[in-house]
Amino acid sequence: MRSALETAQNEAWRRLGLPGTWWTGQERLAIAQECRAATGCAFCATRAAALSPLTVAGRHDVAEPSLPAAAIEAIHRIRTDPGRLGETWFLTLRAAGLGEAPYVELVSVVAVTVAIDTFRRGSGLPPLPLPAAEPGAPSRRRPTGAKPGLGFVATLAPEDRTEADPDLYRDHPGPRRRVGANIHRALSLVPNSMIHWWDVLEELYQSGPQMRDYGVDYRAIGHAQIELLAARVAALNRCEY
Amino acid sequence: MKGDPGSDVPHGDTLLAFADAALGGDKAVLDRAREAVRLAVGDAGLSDAAAVIGGFDGITRIAEATGIPLEPEKAAQTADFFGALDIGRFRRAKT
Repeated sequence: MRSALETAQNEAWRRLGLPGTWWTGQERLAIAQECRAATGCAFCATRAAALSPLTVAGRHDVAEPSLPAAAIEAIHRIRTDPGRLGETWFLTLRAAGLGEAPYVELVSVVAVTVAIDTFRRGSGLPPLPLPAAEPGAPSRRRPTGAKPGLGFVATLAPEDRTEADPDLYRDHPGPRRRVGANIHRALSLVPNSMIHWWDVLEELYQSGPQMRDYGVDYRAIGHAQIELLAARVAALNRCEY
Repeated sequence: MKGDPGSDVPHGDTLLAFADAALGGDKAVLDRAREAVRLAVGDAGLSDAAAVIGGFDGITRIAEATGIPLEPEKAAQTADFFGALDIGRFRRAKT
């Protein structure tokens, strides 16, 4: 494993146990643990195999009962059936009491957990044990410039970021490394979650400038090989983006 | 995958089989696919290939769970193969 990749992996894993913006460190680790357990959930397996998930009723096999039921549902569906998540489903979570920003942070924790678990499984490495939770309260700060309308959740566009917000698009030192594509904005309602995700993705995959620098190979496989793998995983997960 | 047309990318078929196995549930299939990739692109290539698979297993979930759309200019650039591959069926399956 490249040393930069190992460093990024370890740092992303450590951050799972830190207090977040909307969840405590303990709660974030419960989300990660529930994400891992979801792959063995019989209800999820039945639902994922059904023509429509709406046609199947049942109960999740829950590993972390301290989490709210709506969070359990979100974690399990995102882990086991991501290609059929629609806004109607998202609104049922909201109606059940899961806040918009806590949901975004939950998505980031699931994504980091899945990415590192899949990487290590593919590499033939054992899964990492979850880190220890660090004490502290969530900061509960929502960016004042966030606006609805792009997807299911509000987002913070680069031009709406204020000095009170973290440097989520990496404006400094310029030029901006995260250009502000929709995929960059997806988690931007919770800037530290967006940073958590992109810091590790840019080592698992490539940074934006590296991706667009076709004359140089930054990895031990070439650009075409990287994009072939990326496209295949997107197709397997039925990702339209 | 069903109807797989193959690939002209160097070691493309080996890498595709690795991606399928990494997201699949059969450990023996994954072990064989991993060794095939190691033979094709070496230890460092294997690690970087697994890293891309992991990264996209995560980012696809972010895209789907937040409902972000493809940018209009990207949609226009990809409309031909978007239609040819019937990627719109992914959208029709959403609930």
